[in-house]
Amino acid sequence: MSSQHALSQSDLLPRRRRDWLFGLGLTIVIIVVALAVVGPYIGPYDPTLTTPNVSVPPPSLSEIPGLFSAWISGTLEAPPNWMGTDASGFDVFSRVIAAPRTDLVIALVANGLSLLLGVFLGLIAGYYRNTATELMMRVSDVMQSFPVFISAMVLVALAGRSTTNIVIALAFVYTPIYVRLTRAEVMSQKVRGFVEAARALGNTELSIAIRHVLPNSLTPALIQASVTIGFAILLTAGLSFVGAGVRPPTPEWGLMISTGANQIILGEWWPSVFPGIAISLTVFGFAVLGNALERRYDAS
Amino acid sequence: MTRLEAAALQASSMIEPTTARTVLSVENLVVGYPVDGRMIKPVDGLSFKVREREVVGLIGDAGSGKSTAALALLGLARAPGKILGGKVEFDGRDLLKLPDAEIRAIRGRDIGIIVQNPRSSLNPMLRIGKQIGYAYQAHNAASGQQLRRKAIDMLRMVGINDPERRADSYAHELSGGMAQRALIAMALSSKPKLLIADEPTSGLDVTIQAQFLDEMWNTVQQTGSAILLITQELGTLANYCDRVLVLHEGRIVEDAPVREFFANPQHPYSQQILKLQRERGSSLGLELPEGGVKPLLQTRDLRKTFAVQHTKKTIQAVDKVSLSIGRGETLGLVGESGSGKTTVGRCLLRLLEPTSGSVVFDGEDLVKLPPNDMRRYRSKLQIVFQDPFDSLNPRWTIRRILCEPLDLHSNLSAADKNKRAEELIDLVDLDRTLLDRKPRGLGAGALQRINIARALACNPEFIVLDEPTSVLSPRARVGLIELLVRLQKELGISYLFISHDLTTVRYLCHKVSVMYLGQIVETGTVEQVFSRPQHPYSQALLSAHLFPDPTNRRVDKVIPAALEGEIPSPIDLPIGCYLASRCPHVVEACRSTPQTLEPVDTGQEVRCWRAAAGEITAFKGAHA
Repeated sequence: MSSQHALSQSDLLPRRRRDWLFGLGLTIVIIVVALAVVGPYIGPYDPTLTTPNVSVPPPSLSEIPGLFSAWISGTLEAPPNWMGTDASGFDVFSRVIAAPRTDLVIALVANGLSLLLGVFLGLIAGYYRNTATELMMRVSDVMQSFPVFISAMVLVALAGRSTTNIVIALAFVYTPIYVRLTRAEVMSQKVRGFVEAARALGNTELSIAIRHVLPNSLTPALIQASVTIGFAILLTAGLSFVGAGVRPPTPEWGLMISTGANQIILGEWWPSVFPGIAISLTVFGFAVLGNALERRYDAS
Repeated sequence: MTRLEAAALQASSMIEPTTARTVLSVENLVVGYPVDGRMIKPVDGLSFKVREREVVGLIGDAGSGKSTAALALLGLARAPGKILGGKVEFDGRDLLKLPDAEIRAIRGRDIGIIVQNPRSSLNPMLRIGKQIGYAYQAHNAASGQQLRRKAIDMLRMVGINDPERRADSYAHELSGGMAQRALIAMALSSKPKLLIADEPTSGLDVTIQAQFLDEMWNTVQQTGSAILLITQELGTLANYCDRVLVLHEGRIVEDAPVREFFANPQHPYSQQILKLQRERGSSLGLELPEGGVKPLLQTRDLRKTFAVQHTKKTIQAVDKVSLSIGRGETLGLVGESGSGKTTVGRCLLRLLEPTSGSVVFDGEDLVKLPPNDMRRYRSKLQIVFQDPFDSLNPRWTIRRILCEPLDLHSNLSAADKNKRAEELIDLVDLDRTLLDRKPRGLGAGALQRINIARALACNPEFIVLDEPTSVLSPRARVGLIELLVRLQKELGISYLFISHDLTTVRYLCHKVSVMYLGQIVETGTVEQVFSRPQHPYSQALLSAHLFPDPTNRRVDKVIPAALEGEIPSPIDLPIGCYLASRCPHVVEACRSTPQTLEPVDTGQEVRCWRAAAGEITAFKGAHA
């Protein structure tokens, strides 16, 4: 190799664009995570309590500055409904910012579980290739051949609608992705020179697998996790939308879209559209972050 | 034109080098890459000339700017690099000032280029003949049948057997050597005045490498082109080049006729890479005590077979190999790729389980040891792998890498381990500040030293060196060989040095065994095997090797015929001698009689009954 000056792909892409996207993704993710922590407490109304004001439309754009200054100076008797209220009188804004507590926590825990399980199984399947692990891979193939949404819906329907069951169902449907990614990486890492060197130094196979192969095989799964969290949020919302998710009045984006859907025909778009935008932005944020991470990884 | 006529012609043109016309004249060429806002200049003020019919060698370390320079000569730079200045005068015109259309016409027609990695340079979707035809058509008016005939002629000229059939093959159906020749055919199809060859033989086997360079040299002699041959191999320089350019930090630091360069290098870098040639092993101190040394490791009838998937057949990778390595001794194991030499190394350490046979180390048969006992033995037997970039855990610091063997085999305290890591890094002449870095970003030479340091951590008695110098640049290679010799002298370690590079084997080894298709075909001292090889295969291997000696150039002499045909498949091995189908000395009995290693008059052992009977004509190695 004499082409030491050949440059990697990352240098060939316009640097500013990559960083801009990465920054945007990161900002969205940080906001969503922050809302998952404080969201339920900072809204102007209690997200789980109805108010007598039913189906109040959001203020028009021209009203916002006036309302805002009035709100700041404290001359309003009740805080404004920034995104209106829905047919039951819930304040949409308070619920939109409270929802990450439900959506993100379900997505994160489910993802964490499937990541752990998937990486563990992937390591075994990639490191020890025998009939048992091949059988496991075929089972995981079968699982992956069903649409994620259908599998999750069936699982929740069978086990009952509870947050725990949703988490378990999501973890279950996402595990095969991590198994396959990790297995592929383990298979390419375990034949590398440093693994053979570790064997020559007198490491046991177990120690080689855990200390040498595993840490070098995690990256694809971790990158995938960032993308999958976004989709897990979408899936959580989707389950609620079809009635297989969390129960009302838990603030949850999918549920909000679903309950608001009946009003759309009457021209009351706000109870559904705002949570819809929130989901889109969140999924977008995680996906962009995942892509940016992946590009950085590929470049290295 | 025969090789000798060509050589004579070459010699006559060398008598008056000044009268030969200058084909290419490069002045003050600068190529820069923007990196983090700064301009890095891999080529920085390059100036040289290439004359008509001249073969000019360009040597330099990895990163010295060789490939960047080669592209820049065609007015090209890899994005986002740019040619920042200078002049590339070809045939009286400055290429850098020509409009795109004109320079495109010159590329490929007047300047041919052959790059590394032949197979990826061929279009996998096009038949070879078509590709050569297109290359020709780009610059010449021709059509259909004419193109095909031209392509077949070119393939025949570069020495491809059965060119009609090969013209209809796809790239993946060709061997590496053949693909490389097809590229030459393409590059030479429009009789360029200059051929730029960028490490054209990297990755090819020794025998193919020599054949290829012979073909290139011959063809160019016929077409009258000049060659700029970029290489990292001193052997290639010495055997084929008339003049040597040394590229160092983007600049030519030495420009000398080849003999003068080897005899009296001027620049410190040239002196460094030629150090071993100049000292000729004398100061390396390879003398062993009189009367031989006590054996440390012996194998007996070591066999390793691999099952072929989905069949009941097996591949015989190692076939009844018996070796003996004494304390403080180096045994060289040489052979082409696929000869099983690497498998032998792995079997000695049980990184691969031998199918049968024994490996006796210090009185203990390692093959019979249960896994736990074997692990304990590993502190005494170590291995250094071929690819230094791949053999260190990329996530660990050098300190942790060096401490790993101590964690496994010693009860040292953390502080003592640290101290040992520092000792080790000193021992291999690296800076202690490296300890807290990760392998990434270090050069091949430094990484290979770290590999050696790690192997030394627990004071081993025996190290398998599996082609440790093959990916190193010339200077790092010299440094590593010196280090290995010094370590052996200081620590009394035994080495098994696996290599296809006979030049390095000659510097480093006391004894040498030649492998062919899993068998040892000849074994003896380096002196015996290199100066009087007896087995026809050893003879072929030695005659194909490019020794860095410009006074005994391959292009100036008659080369004994190379072995015919290809290596037989290790799945269906012949009953008799494995070489019988390719051997120039073959008689009927060879095909049916399995061969054994027999001692011959010159002292070594040879697996050839005709050599043992003294029936094979002596071969002058003349290189030991």
